[in-house]
Amino acid sequence: MTKHTIDDGTIEACQRGDSEAFRLVFEAYKDRVYSIGLCFFDGNEAAAKDIIQEVFLKLMTTISQFQNRSEFSTWLYRLVTNACLDRKRAFRRFLFFTDSRELELPDPRRSAEDRYIQREIEHSVRKVIAGMKPKLRMAVLLKYFEDLSYDEMAAALACSKGTVASRLNRAHRILARKLGHLRGALAAGE
Amino acid sequence: MFENHVIRHLSAYHHGEIPPDEAIRIEAHLRTCARCRSANDQVQWGARLASALSVSKAPADMWIGVNRAHPVSSRRRWRVVLASTAVAAALLFVIFIRSHAPAGSSWEVTGVPGMPRLRPGEMLQTGSTSEAQIKIANIGQLTIDRNTRIRLLVTEPDQHRIALDRGRVEATTWAPPRLFIVETPSATAVDLGCKYALEVEDDGSSLLHVTLGLVALERGSRETIVPAGAFCRTRAGTGPGTPFFEDSSTRLQSALEQVDSLTEGPERTRQLQVVLGESRVRDALSLWHLLPRLDMQSRGLIYDRLAQLLPAPPDVTRDGIIALDPKMLDAWKKIVSQLWQ
Repeated sequence: MTKHTIDDGTIEACQRGDSEAFRLVFEAYKDRVYSIGLCFFDGNEAAAKDIIQEVFLKLMTTISQFQNRSEFSTWLYRLVTNACLDRKRAFRRFLFFTDSRELELPDPRRSAEDRYIQREIEHSVRKVIAGMKPKLRMAVLLKYFEDLSYDEMAAALACSKGTVASRLNRAHRILARKLGHLRGALAAGE
Repeated sequence: MFENHVIRHLSAYHHGEIPPDEAIRIEAHLRTCARCRSANDQVQWGARLASALSVSKAPADMWIGVNRAHPVSSRRRWRVVLASTAVAAALLFVIFIRSHAPAGSSWEVTGVPGMPRLRPGEMLQTGSTSEAQIKIANIGQLTIDRNTRIRLLVTEPDQHRIALDRGRVEATTWAPPRLFIVETPSATAVDLGCKYALEVEDDGSSLLHVTLGLVALERGSRETIVPAGAFCRTRAGTGPGTPFFEDSSTRLQSALEQVDSLTEGPERTRQLQVVLGESRVRDALSLWHLLPRLDMQSRGLIYDRLAQLLPAPPDVTRDGIIALDPKMLDAWKKIVSQLWQ
């Protein structure tokens, strides 16, 4: 997994209000922020778009506060976490039924059958993740979409490293329990 | 540390987040423990499944929306707020004390005629029928309720601090922890990244209700952590009380208030027993905070109940907890604190 890094010069340019620098930051992170929003809200495209908009607007208005206290991506994912949890609280009575499968990007190196299996597995994984408690859900998404370290996740989630480990442990075991029947399918898709 | 099962460390082990010497001990344990091997197999499989997640492409036109929204939305928002607050102007009064604060380090205010900004050293008071909105630099938003008085003490890049003398505020922040601080007569509320309401009574006592994230209430060496969904009362002279979740039983809440206000004696012990009897797992939040604040006999009672709700790690003993052994407290806190993290 590729990690995006934004250099200090770009951040300083953002702090001076340089819109091109903002655009660079946006381009570097938009897909991952969108993916987290999409998965967090069980494929709801409108919610994921709102998360992108909210996160980058907050970023634009607060970047002058950023003082390298933590890695830029940690800070950004803290905004993402807060935005997702805020929105979930606001819309907790709504149910989302949108199917996100059409948005997934096919890997051209795989055969059509492999891609189909992979897509079905990913769909099942997304469904189980969407049913987890929000804190477990966010831990999984930050780990598997952005490959943050436990220290970075702890900073983004405002909790201890031990709590990050515990949340991921629970999330992994939920996935394993609910999708144990896919062991054969995953082996076949490889 | 790993004499017993290693189940809770397995994801960290899988992700290479365990120090090498501890990883060796986990490996050794896995060779001999079928239960942990089975759990490890589950974690490995769960991690493999999660790795199937792939990034979805954001819609191509998102940048246009974000870029447009930035300058426009804030202007529109303030226009609307300013227009609506003009109607309420007659119902709101302001005490305005100028200090020698440098120009520029101030917060944008809406809802208070004649006071577009609040500077360090200035005070803002709302009337009986109106509210005000304040932009906390660039890190959040403050709603000032009716009959509320605040003073802006400091606004610097590394700290924003107000005093809430009386009344109620609602704060929402999106900054790193410990940047926004509210001083009240009975405690200091330190934002750990969150949304909360804080109300100060005329006698200096206060009530904090956190709806997202965490807030630390501090006074001297006493600290109370209040997570989302929890309340905490503070009293002038004694500081932060014991936090409790909003869905705790009313009997527990009432008895907890008595425990916080009574001195050592039979009545406090009776009220403590009500708290212990009413406690569910979530209420370990309250029991954990009570532990160091009460006498040794009470600590023993709390230990017994807490250990039923959230069993202590193997190396933690009743005597050690009653004696407030720092290592044992830390070891158990790792389990208990999951309630608020």
